Amino acid sequence: MRDYLLFYVNGKEQRVSGAEVFAPLSSYLRYGQSATGTKVVCAEGDCGACTVMIGRLSAGELAYQPVNSCIQFLHQLDCSHIVTVEGLKDKQALNPVQEAMVDNHGAQCGYCTPGIIVSLCSLFDCKQPADAQDIKDALTGNLCRCTGYESIITSGLAVDPAGIRSLKELYPEREMVAQFRSHIEQPALIEHREQSCFVPTSVKQAIEFKAKHPDTVTISGGTDVCVNCNKRGLEPAAIVSLSNLSGLSEVQIENGQLVVGGRAKLATLEAWAREEMPELYKIMWLFGSPQIRNAGTLAGNVANGSPIADSLPWLFVMEAQVELTGTSGIRLVNINSFYKGYKQLDMKADELITRIIIPLPEPQETLRLFKVSKRQNLDISAFTAAIRMTIADNKIVKAAVAYGGVGPVVLRLPKTEDFLTGKETTAATFTEAGELARSEITPISDVRGSSDFRLQLAENILLKFYYESACEREYACQV
Amino acid sequence: MPSLGKNIPHDSAKGHVAGESIYIDDMPFARNELVVDFFWSPVAHGKIKELDLSAAKKVPGIVGLYTYKDLGGTNLFGPSIKDEVLLVEDTCEFIGHPIVVIAAENSQAAKAAKSCIKIEIDELKPILSIEEAIARKNFIGPPRTIRTGNPEAGFAAAQHVLEGSFFSGGQEHFYLESQAAIAYPGEHGQLVVHSSTQNPTEVQDVIAHVLGLKQNQVVVTTKRMGGGFGGKECQATHPAAMASLVALKTKRPARIVLDVDTDMQVTGKRHPFHNRYKVGFTGDGKITALKIALYSDGGAACDLSLAVMSKALLHAENAYFVDNAEFTGTICKTNYPPNTAFRGFGCPQAVANMENIIEEIAAFLKKDALDIRLLNIYGVEERNLTPYGQIVTNNTLAKLFSELERSADYRNRMAQVKAFNQSSKTHLKGLSLIPVKFGVSFGQKHMNQGSALVNLYQDGTIQVSTGATEMGQGVNTNIRQLVADEFDIPVDSVLVMPTSTEKNNNSSPTAASSATDLNGQAAVNACEKIRERLVVSAGHYFNSVDPALSSSAHEIVFENGQVFDRRNPEAKLTFAKLVQRAYLDKVSLGERGFHAHQGLHFDWESGSDKTGSGIPYLYFTFGCAVASVIIDRFTGDLKIERVDVLMDIGRSINPGVSRGQIAGAFVQGMGWVTTEELKYSDKGALLSHSPTTYKIPNIQDLPDVFKIDWIENNENTVNLKGTKAVGEPPFVLGAAVWTAVKHALSFVSKDQVARLRLPATNEEILTRLTQYEKLQAGAEVQLKQPALLP
Repeated sequence: MRDYLLFYVNGKEQRVSGAEVFAPLSSYLRYGQSATGTKVVCAEGDCGACTVMIGRLSAGELAYQPVNSCIQFLHQLDCSHIVTVEGLKDKQALNPVQEAMVDNHGAQCGYCTPGIIVSLCSLFDCKQPADAQDIKDALTGNLCRCTGYESIITSGLAVDPAGIRSLKELYPEREMVAQFRSHIEQPALIEHREQSCFVPTSVKQAIEFKAKHPDTVTISGGTDVCVNCNKRGLEPAAIVSLSNLSGLSEVQIENGQLVVGGRAKLATLEAWAREEMPELYKIMWLFGSPQIRNAGTLAGNVANGSPIADSLPWLFVMEAQVELTGTSGIRLVNINSFYKGYKQLDMKADELITRIIIPLPEPQETLRLFKVSKRQNLDISAFTAAIRMTIADNKIVKAAVAYGGVGPVVLRLPKTEDFLTGKETTAATFTEAGELARSEITPISDVRGSSDFRLQLAENILLKFYYESACEREYACQV
Repeated sequence: MPSLGKNIPHDSAKGHVAGESIYIDDMPFARNELVVDFFWSPVAHGKIKELDLSAAKKVPGIVGLYTYKDLGGTNLFGPSIKDEVLLVEDTCEFIGHPIVVIAAENSQAAKAAKSCIKIEIDELKPILSIEEAIARKNFIGPPRTIRTGNPEAGFAAAQHVLEGSFFSGGQEHFYLESQAAIAYPGEHGQLVVHSSTQNPTEVQDVIAHVLGLKQNQVVVTTKRMGGGFGGKECQATHPAAMASLVALKTKRPARIVLDVDTDMQVTGKRHPFHNRYKVGFTGDGKITALKIALYSDGGAACDLSLAVMSKALLHAENAYFVDNAEFTGTICKTNYPPNTAFRGFGCPQAVANMENIIEEIAAFLKKDALDIRLLNIYGVEERNLTPYGQIVTNNTLAKLFSELERSADYRNRMAQVKAFNQSSKTHLKGLSLIPVKFGVSFGQKHMNQGSALVNLYQDGTIQVSTGATEMGQGVNTNIRQLVADEFDIPVDSVLVMPTSTEKNNNSSPTAASSATDLNGQAAVNACEKIRERLVVSAGHYFNSVDPALSSSAHEIVFENGQVFDRRNPEAKLTFAKLVQRAYLDKVSLGERGFHAHQGLHFDWESGSDKTGSGIPYLYFTFGCAVASVIIDRFTGDLKIERVDVLMDIGRSINPGVSRGQIAGAFVQGMGWVTTEELKYSDKGALLSHSPTTYKIPNIQDLPDVFKIDWIENNENTVNLKGTKAVGEPPFVLGAAVWTAVKHALSFVSKDQVARLRLPATNEEILTRLTQYEKLQAGAEVQLKQPALLP
């Protein structure tokens, strides 16, 4: 058993044990390594000032992704290569992204700039030119208060990708890969005062540890747990970090169903959806930010159990199955019966979500997903919905409706579903269904929206579905 | 080659993109440095019954706990009215009001101590809205008034009169670098304080005042800020004073860095306003009389509320001539953190209010709001007098309107919007063009001064230090160019140094968009004085080389880094060689420059009716913007389709810097009117205190088409090099997005004038849409609108 973590920062090997293991990467960089280019503003993954690149083994080589270093704790980073803004210069010279940002006034106060640079360098690491939308999509997770972003987009458009030297060129990886390969096979256990962190290499090891320590907090992407550590004083006594677990990171079709591994990143699901399921892609594009999606997992979204989790209404209407693996074996639970109350799951202390199995819509079915938040991107929802419907000859044959943000858990709306079944697809039907939907929920008022707002959305979303997806005439406006 | 008008990169850009620029918390830790934190009031209003620090004192790593009793000076300060305490003495006036300063070896100890402080408070009823403050007559300072003509006669002459009320919400600055300071103790009670502040002199003054030091014992230095936007004009003082207290007490360096949640909870914001108005107009829409009662939420202490209200009153009519007007301004005292300066400084709130009135006139008359605006804008030769008696000079409004109407294709797009709204069942569009007229100068006339220290070195390089502080806006880049141009040397030869009270004493805050106007002119003034001395040395030199040339200072030319006598341009000296010669000639190679605007005056109590009048502004910056929006009728979601901004900024020193100010200010204004909503509990606690819940614009929120341009105007001769200030005016134009939403709602509000609060969040929009749809369906609807004020 290893008693230290191994990783690299800007090509330099680090071996860490003790208190630092339980601290955010951003703190380690700023205060441990005097690498103060990485800025911390929000400490919760909502501003991107702390963005760094993380390279991990993938098919025998390193694959780099931008993530928020404030919510990546060191115990998640075993066997990875961290590249910070300080590590992006090409020898002593500014790289083409940095040059473009200088020449085009892409920086004003400069506090968001390191994060912007890291995200843009990630975009251009493939040496391909980018259009304005690519640049926006790469920077959704980076807030800037000074520039209004205009000059940053101009900077991105001015980058000459031919001049880029990729991270693989800047950081020869043979030695790192060899080190990671030898280390990733060994489980690690780090103990410091009352805290312990276990980095298993297999599901078996993970669930055995969990069985021994029933209060274990399981961390994969950490995009929720680490926020709770930073902001709500969470200090788990026992942590199992899944970063070195082999397998479970795939998103694939098996027997006509979508199977998402328990460690599969939201970004992996997003990439699949982009090609295969545009309706899901629409939501994945809105989900957090690239940094969040590069770290967070679908299983994490499910396990966190928030009533406003963006993936849940979709999983509810598709009758997804959650595969749980524990010391007593594997079992499947329908997501519709997985939540017993606010953040109360049908899950035992030793169990791990190993896969999520999601049926795909039949060709004759319509699936629409909705997310309403104060700001379109990088915002937690006030209200979410999924509507799955089979319509034949202007009649609703089957309907499934799930709403989030309207109660302590995501809800299916049985009365509304029953009402819709067999009805004609008219505006009147959906108006009436909306009124019924309203009566099935009792949302609360909170910082993200009032109860009245949520009730109105619950009512309106069915008519929106009708006009945009179900009516004969195309009223929808292409926005 | 002069650099004026050239697109020189920001002077910190290379450091910024490499992560090498240094901010407060990037400074290395001294071995014995302490962490400073504070314990604050958990209630909005209450009297402290008991404060027990005994348990907190015992926490390992705690070095000191200090209350107001430990201050050593006067615990009462404020930029205009001295009504603010650094540490609560007996009455807590807002959630976040600091009570105990904590000095600790590390942040964990500070946090632990905070949770061990026991406090008992007798809660008092807080005032948590403008309406409540009005009802309880709880105001700050006297109300101020501006009056012109005869409003009552104007209303009598009007064909129509509309009345209403208008609410605009506060706004968090959301500078990315939170408030931060480090204080280093020196000898004899001296302190050197590094502060992320727009106002080093104010920080120096408050530290000295509160801690009982002389001003000359305190040096405050500001290298840069990670954003300011007004939030560090007065409120950087509090953390800096806390760190100074600890440094003075412990003789150890002391660092305070607020986390974002703390910063947002304890510091003041843009003032919310809740106004009442009455407007009379002709059948065409020409305004005949206008009465506006502005009410701002000042928070628990004055801070800059008086100045903000004054600026609001001086912009209440925006760009429109009104010959019969009465504007009053009242500051409400509430139990929130003292509200403070924020880009625009009351002008955005006043202009949004006025543009709301214009939209309502247009909706009422069923006319295009642009035509109402064109009918009322200030004229050049006539209809050019503001209600406070200043003539609107160098007025380019008509040109801006006509060029933008054409370049943004306003009329065609308006027809398209109408057609779209008739056919779409799912979406609603709106289009609006608004102007801004922004007066430039500090309201306090004595503040219109700046100073600069210019030092030449023997290798021909220059250091310049001014009273201006750099927060990203590019003032240092502007000044670097101005100084380089005075000697026609490359900008790379000039470094702008950190701002320090040691070099530039009694500096005005970097605010009012005036930092370049004042400090840039002072730098030019210093350079002129040095040049007068250099040309004498140069004359001697060229005379020594060519005795046929009499030594004549008038004939010396600085060009492309070289110096020569125009009668013999072949004999040249490099600039560096000239500086060396001047040194050998025992010529002073440093100079302090100074500039103050002349001729400005204003009296808030002039005449028998004690109203405001005078010439408060050196000049006006103008601009116009067109915004078009599309709204999802089912969710209220708003998308901004296109924005065209056209400014008059006089001559631009640096187009890249100017454009950055326009784009950044517009988008910040757009955030204020759309997604930036401050939510409070019914106890007065801010709930939206981090970017998770407080939503500033994201890159995806940019309009699909975003055009920025400015007209040529070399006629602003009253200001430095014919330039005009640009930092704040485009912020105001963000309100075009809001008026476009209001315009969209006019298509569904039947025969009602659509009402809309600011910000127009999706929730606010959906609430209005739902009301108006029910109205259209013939239902009796109680239309929610902000209560009419007295």
